[in-house]
Amino acid sequence: MTSDMNIFKIKTKTKRLGTLLPVGIALYLMFMIWGMANELFEKLVPTHMQYILLPTSVFLVSIMTIMEGIYKAGPLIFNCKDDQLLFSLPIKKRTILFIRILKFYIFELIFNSMFIIPFMVAYIRWADSINITYLITSITMLFILPIIPIIISSIISMIITSLSSRFKYKNLVQIIISMTFLVGILYISYNTENLLKYLIKHADSLNDLITKIYYPAGVYAELITNFNIKTLLLFIIINICIFIVSIYILSKFYFKVNSRLKKVIISKKININNLVIKKKSKTISLIRKEISTFFKTPVFIINTGFALLLFLVATVMVSLRFDITIELITKTKELGLDKKVITDNLSIFIFLLVSVTSYMTSITSSVISLEGKNINILKSLPINTKTILISKIYSALVLTTPILILGDIILFIKLRPTIIESLLLIILSILIPLVSHLIGIIINLKYPKLDFENSAEVVKQSTSSFVSVILGMVLLMITCTITIKLIGNIESLTFLLIATIMYIVIDIILYIYLINKSVKDFNKLSI
Amino acid sequence: MIEIKNVTKKYGNKKAIDNISFTVNDGDIFAFIGHNGAGKTTLIKSIVGIHDFDEGDILIDGISIKDNPVECKKLMAFVPDNPETYEHMKAIDYINFICDMYEVDLETRTKNIKKYAKIFDMEDKLNDTIDSYSHGMKQKIVLISALAHNPKILIMDEPFVGLDPKAVFDIKEILNEMVKEDKIIFYSTHILDVAEKLCTRVAIVKNGKLIKSGSMKEIKGDKSLEKVFMELADK
Repeated sequence: MTSDMNIFKIKTKTKRLGTLLPVGIALYLMFMIWGMANELFEKLVPTHMQYILLPTSVFLVSIMTIMEGIYKAGPLIFNCKDDQLLFSLPIKKRTILFIRILKFYIFELIFNSMFIIPFMVAYIRWADSINITYLITSITMLFILPIIPIIISSIISMIITSLSSRFKYKNLVQIIISMTFLVGILYISYNTENLLKYLIKHADSLNDLITKIYYPAGVYAELITNFNIKTLLLFIIINICIFIVSIYILSKFYFKVNSRLKKVIISKKININNLVIKKKSKTISLIRKEISTFFKTPVFIINTGFALLLFLVATVMVSLRFDITIELITKTKELGLDKKVITDNLSIFIFLLVSVTSYMTSITSSVISLEGKNINILKSLPINTKTILISKIYSALVLTTPILILGDIILFIKLRPTIIESLLLIILSILIPLVSHLIGIIINLKYPKLDFENSAEVVKQSTSSFVSVILGMVLLMITCTITIKLIGNIESLTFLLIATIMYIVIDIILYIYLINKSVKDFNKLSI
Repeated sequence: MIEIKNVTKKYGNKKAIDNISFTVNDGDIFAFIGHNGAGKTTLIKSIVGIHDFDEGDILIDGISIKDNPVECKKLMAFVPDNPETYEHMKAIDYINFICDMYEVDLETRTKNIKKYAKIFDMEDKLNDTIDSYSHGMKQKIVLISALAHNPKILIMDEPFVGLDPKAVFDIKEILNEMVKEDKIIFYSTHILDVAEKLCTRVAIVKNGKLIKSGSMKEIKGDKSLEKVFMELADK
């Protein structure tokens, strides 16, 4: 077998500059969190309860890590591309599992640091007193923090994978169980709102309560206020023991579950004369290929489908509990909206709901990377690069638009906007996700990751998905800020008209960029 | 006809292909041989339009791959060294996908799919997903999809790797048949005795440079191709 000469590839200056963008975005995000942390600490200064914020942030980041980790752990641990190589080498299965969970740990360490470090740094400014023990405690916490969440995620993931591996349609079962878990966690979080309110009211005993709820957060609060080397050492030992014991236990089932995943289902033998041989256009064929890739990649579906599922749930909830929704919005003082303004501008709220879902559904930010080595198939075929890229955009629209329009219709039935407003909202349900899809593919072509061990590395851990998520959040913040400022000062219909024209212009600009610059980026791709 | 004209491909400052020129005529079975890392795959990927190159040009039937890649690619089929396919697809869907890209009419594709599936003993396996296949079966699917659109030029990178002896024999038969129709077969290989028996012309590369090219008779003379290759490689 011949080897390509990619060994000679040398990082160009442009590539080096390109790596600075995600680093810059990460630093900016940390700076924003630091600013928010300062505001929160300032409010707590009069009561001398600043320390509460640190264990609370540890608790929240851990919950976030568990939720993210449930669907990230599966592809990171199971059915990896290097399984055949590693399992054939004289290495213990436990060691292979350890290495894979360690990789997961390192990624979560970086992810958690982006949120926790700003809080830790801000605390130094607002603490009543600070000494070296705070630094020791915080650095230790930083490294220990991901352990319990990744172990919980890995266990849940092992259960999901083990259950789904028994079925013929493994992927489908895996998606359904993962979605159920995530919705379950959201439901529990929703119902624990009263408990959290109680915790905030009874801040005096918060330390005790957090300790009971989440051990690492409690220990952190204790070590900040009353440092004790024994407690710190015990904390480290307990966490390391949890890590080691969990890997030991998980490794007992690991090989069996992983092997079961590799069982392939042989379809019913069909005589060649009965096989479906059809001719389709290039674009339709490419779209079908894209959609089939989407449905065969569970982490991809869960990552992007979750926002769409939440959108549908939200539309149904708004329709069923309309009064409560309005009450909730009026109660949010930061928005400064009264009931009349809201009821007069219901179409704008549908627009906002569509915007949130569209910017949180970044399907295209990994569609190029997911091609992997198969990018060479596309590059060797007689198709224009423009056709390839546009078919990827069409596929993303095919996946998102029907759900957005379905949600729109559910809301139209309850909120009864005018026919023109409804029409504009449906057009916007195509135009807004189109912006998100165009941005996603442009970014993915700037930051492709064609060489990967598993799909989670691309969908969840790549620079492209990170930059897309952050950009989506920024665009969403801009959209929400402008919309809230305009609500009440402009008629709904005028607002929707302006939004439609604006999005048409943005889509055209992005499209022109795609067919000029991004086409060149695609042609330069090689593996 | 394939015309390789002073093609140079660099990775940074390193030249993976260094000013290579040669021509492959209609009706040639052309063997492209060289040691590992000599630049064979890089040149093949440049010919089929996967890679860009820094200097020179590659003409396919007089059309530049740089200026009009789609028209050039319509004339070619590429079989890579590793059978790269969309593994989640059923084999029949993958072959149909490739045929759609070449805009093959229904009658031709049906006839060719049946013909080559029968030759490669894959008739009752096309309804399975490709991830259930062995390496050799995947290679057969890549070959069927490459042949299904009647390419004028067949470019292959190590096509015999992983195939069973019957499949190797069948490919040789197919290649001979194609050459009779004045089609071009261009492939890289390390199996020199097969190349010696099968090919009409040969080019040998070393460290990105073309060190010898010509008809098989001219290159090997009274010696075996293996002997000639070893002598040139040792120089």
